[in-house]
Amino acid sequence: MTRLFPPYSTAERLFYGVIGFVAVIGVWEAAVQSGLLAKALLSYPSRIWTVALLDFGSGAMWPHVWTSFEEFAYGFVVSLVIGIPLGLLIGWFPRLDHLLSALLAGLNATPNVALIPLIVVIAGLGLQSKVIVVFLSAFFAILVTTYTGVRSVARRHLEITRSFGGSRWLAFRTVAIPSTVPFMISGTRVGAGRALVGVVSAEILAANTGLGFYISLYGTFLDTPRVMLGILLFGVIGLLIGEVIRLLERRFDAWRPSIH
Amino acid sequence: MTEFALSARGVQMEYRERHSTERLLAIENIDLDVEEGSFVSLLGPSGCGKSTFLKIVNGLLLATAGEIKIRRTGQARENAMVFQDAALFPWYSVLENVAYGLVCAGVARREARRRAEPYIELVGLRGFGHKYPYQLSGGMQQRANLARALAVDPPILLMDEPFASLDAQTRELMQAELLRIWNAARKTVVFVTHQIDEAVYLSDRVVVMAARPGRIVADIPIDLRRPRQLDVKLTPEFAAYEQRIWSLIQQPRAAPDAATA
Repeated sequence: MTRLFPPYSTAERLFYGVIGFVAVIGVWEAAVQSGLLAKALLSYPSRIWTVALLDFGSGAMWPHVWTSFEEFAYGFVVSLVIGIPLGLLIGWFPRLDHLLSALLAGLNATPNVALIPLIVVIAGLGLQSKVIVVFLSAFFAILVTTYTGVRSVARRHLEITRSFGGSRWLAFRTVAIPSTVPFMISGTRVGAGRALVGVVSAEILAANTGLGFYISLYGTFLDTPRVMLGILLFGVIGLLIGEVIRLLERRFDAWRPSIH
Repeated sequence: MTEFALSARGVQMEYRERHSTERLLAIENIDLDVEEGSFVSLLGPSGCGKSTFLKIVNGLLLATAGEIKIRRTGQARENAMVFQDAALFPWYSVLENVAYGLVCAGVARREARRRAEPYIELVGLRGFGHKYPYQLSGGMQQRANLARALAVDPPILLMDEPFASLDAQTRELMQAELLRIWNAARKTVVFVTHQIDEAVYLSDRVVVMAARPGRIVADIPIDLRRPRQLDVKLTPEFAAYEQRIWSLIQQPRAAPDAATA
């Protein structure tokens, strides 16, 4: 296989990733210790580390992490399970498209944060309301990307099925779905990011547990090390989710030439 | 009376242009008979409606007038088309692609793959069944494209400029390969091309078409001995055919105003 760029290994990816991470932490710590940056504003790595050991050690942190993860997982999985099939169907059947597209575009244009108070009124402060917010946050990205994928199926490929006398249903299964897979994956990637944003905003606005709640609680106490810890944990979770999607992507990638 | 594999009478194709009332006559009144087992080329410049006619025979388009009779001899209900390019599914292996025509005809996947296997062999792709299209050269992709069409055992094999996007050397090789395969499979072939030497080399008959509106201007039997090797292209007889067809194509248009009816 020809390569567009010089090859690089997984080890190299890891190596440079770690270097970048360590460098930023080092510069940050040095800037604070040398007095260039006020300790109270952004806190600093060694202090955040101490706080992390403290809160994880006492067990106080785990319920927050678990709650946020649960809200994310439920909301995101539901948005995939509904968003992908619905995107496929709306893309494939023009009548369904006409029926739903204006409705969905309107809903999509509404900022999700604006819906949170209403959702809390309906579903309360618990898990349910967060799952709904997370679902709404991720759902449209997944739906729209999948829809776009179906709409951009190559005419020639559909012509082949028709030319050999295959049915529309066969074309849907053997042409529309496989050629939309790359779109589904990027929808999943974008949707995961949106879902995480949904978790944070719902928890900051209305919650009594979860990482977002943790951040907003210690924000009111001006406890910047704990605020920073919460933010960094979201970063780590986002990174892990990205890696999982990368693995998923590789599974479906056998038929595409890689650029690396 | 000879049995014809394909009989077209008064086939006409008219498009209404988008956002206008103007009508475009893509094909005007085509009559064509193709004998069982023969190799017939439709030759003409772009816009002469040769590909449109092929799509009508295939059932991808519905003619606005005329009728087409096809003698069903193969196992398939449908004719099979060999497309110009980008005609393999990138998400399927070569074997799955070759089996796809059979899947369209309702054959179970596993059985379709079993029946596709010998055609991979026939077109010279042995050992490439598990590869994906992007791993194949342009010539090999067209071999797979051909195998898919042959595998359904169609009454007529329709070929729409199948070698147009190949480089010159590969194209010559594929022409020779096609004759070898045609000799083995004994199919009626309708082959569309804009290359004179390709049409003369491959065909029993070359049907010359002209554009605006698309119509047949000549029907030339090619009496070159078969089997033909590539060096037949160097003979004076071959050159004479090329010369004759070239002069037909150069002829001034009979009715340049007939484009808008």
